[in-house]
Amino acid sequence: MHPVVRRVLHGGGFWPALPAVAFLVVFLVLPMLTLLAFGFVTIERGRIVGDTFTLQHLHSALGDQLIWRLAWRSFYVAVISTVLALVLAYPVAYLFSQTSGIWRTLILIAVISPLLTSALVRTYAWLVILGGRRGLLNQTLLQLGLIDQPLRLLNTDWAVIIGMTQIHLPFMILPLLAVLSGRDRRLEEAARNLGAGRVRTFFTVVVPMSVPAIFAGLALVFAVSYTNFIVPQLLGGGSYSTLAVQVYEQTVVVLDWTRGAVLATILLTSCFVFVYLIVAGGSRLSRWSEIRT
Amino acid sequence: MTHIQLEAIHKSYGQTQVLNDCTLEIARGEVMTLLGPSGCGKTTLLRTLAGFVRQDHGRVVVGGAEISHLAPNRRSVGYVFQNYALFPHLSVAENVAYGLKVRRRPAGEIRERVAKALHLVALDGLGARFPAQLSGGQQQRVAIARVLVLEPEVLLLDEPFNALDAKLRLTMQVELRKLIDRVGITSIFVTHDQSEAMMLSDKVAVMRAGRIEQVAAPLAIYDRPVNDYVASFIGRANVLSVEVRGGVVASAPEVVANRADGPARLIVRPENLAIAGADACWSGRILFASAQGPSIEYEVEAGLPEPLRLVVPRQAGEAALPAGAAVGVRIVDPGACIVIGGGSGV
Repeated sequence: MHPVVRRVLHGGGFWPALPAVAFLVVFLVLPMLTLLAFGFVTIERGRIVGDTFTLQHLHSALGDQLIWRLAWRSFYVAVISTVLALVLAYPVAYLFSQTSGIWRTLILIAVISPLLTSALVRTYAWLVILGGRRGLLNQTLLQLGLIDQPLRLLNTDWAVIIGMTQIHLPFMILPLLAVLSGRDRRLEEAARNLGAGRVRTFFTVVVPMSVPAIFAGLALVFAVSYTNFIVPQLLGGGSYSTLAVQVYEQTVVVLDWTRGAVLATILLTSCFVFVYLIVAGGSRLSRWSEIRT
Repeated sequence: MTHIQLEAIHKSYGQTQVLNDCTLEIARGEVMTLLGPSGCGKTTLLRTLAGFVRQDHGRVVVGGAEISHLAPNRRSVGYVFQNYALFPHLSVAENVAYGLKVRRRPAGEIRERVAKALHLVALDGLGARFPAQLSGGQQQRVAIARVLVLEPEVLLLDEPFNALDAKLRLTMQVELRKLIDRVGITSIFVTHDQSEAMMLSDKVAVMRAGRIEQVAAPLAIYDRPVNDYVASFIGRANVLSVEVRGGVVASAPEVVANRADGPARLIVRPENLAIAGADACWSGRILFASAQGPSIEYEVEAGLPEPLRLVVPRQAGEAALPAGAAVGVRIVDPGACIVIGGGSGV
């Protein structure tokens, strides 16, 4: 056998990852760099005009009040949705860790099954639930007598936040599920033995031990919420927009690739920065978990 | 004075009965060991005392007050876990301070008591470390300090030496016993290691399948086991099926048996047998011999279901008899033999 072939087959360092890396470079990294590069040249009629690098497009995008407003909306919608997802996911993951047998299986199926349906279908389902006077939610609330007037939910920030939170919930639940079910229960018994009640034990032992999973979930859900353009488009309505929606519209609808590429650059860069901050914050809070002697 | 009383504790999980009528009394300041093979219920009994397991029937009384229905955090019972269960996200000092913080002690007092507790277990200066940065023995001492700083009434230890290597184990056993004597706290150990039980405890409770078979001082259990199970669990024993006739054992007439005629079992420790000439009770051939410095161990095939085991003192320059040699075997001290009723053997 040729020594290179043997080295590939028998593993060792970088070699086994080569096919996946090559695939990603050719079909993800290069197209993305190309797309991003479009933001730094001038394109007219599908041709690059002049071959000079320019920061002019980026400069004009950053000087645009509208872009800043859209970016701010992308940000706060993602933040609220991510925090909501954590608050909703934690009890589910905790419940899963406390149950066994058939209940455990049912919870797992309930958590995973939304991932198996398309995001588009799920978003449309929210249209039916939230939509107008005849929407499922308003109908129910009116009939229960809880409200007199139908709530205006669709085409608001809240519709987008609710939709996103539900769709991204599994990304928060799954890391928590893994960590919470694998946790050492004796630590909780130790806390009880030292005098802590159930609530105190939960917040001083269970939650701190799950910090790595919490921040993994936060980073994941923030990234997909911040860059999601389907949910804001459908649940936010025609006049609603975010930075991600603008990238889509400029590139696919307006066909202004330069503008689209510049906005994509801003979206991706800011997303990386936020995710980095989340991950860095998480590892600051869980430094203990990296101690090895 | 009785400090801890366990009264007729029963516990079942589904069809499996884990604890069956366990009754135990422990005097104040006494060190008790629950000894038995894995799965005998010893840890469950300890967990019942701590409140992690709620018994189906029976009472747990500490210092005259029943605590059966108290939640674990309402009991003044310190528990040292098998793998210590130190909080990995807290430093050593924070681990020890945990219980004091729960009790809302002032910061100054906490600092002082934590320092004192760490000094007690000789861990001064390691307060800022994390548990993962400590050796196994140090972790064990943190677990003990974390519990003792609260000055509990009772100290419970679940196989505390299991996670330590053999060499460290011995030193830690001695250290722990000295520490307990210094603090004077009523303690209960759980172990499956009989030498550990003999070394650490004032009294040993031998358990089998959810029942307590015998409670006595370690040497009393060794000298006067109530049955062949206890005899074989504590030290080694020859358990022989014999006939009692006219108040003595038929095959070894020097052993007096205060029981009616019929089948019985004779328990003889290996060191209570000796190689003999004319006055032998049994005769046979040596299967195996091994000289170990101060003593020689023999296995003798004497026509019994199991070979007889002997441990005889060795004189300087003495060699073991060769395997295959024909020998007689006699009992050294008939008074140290135990005759118990028939029934199935071990």
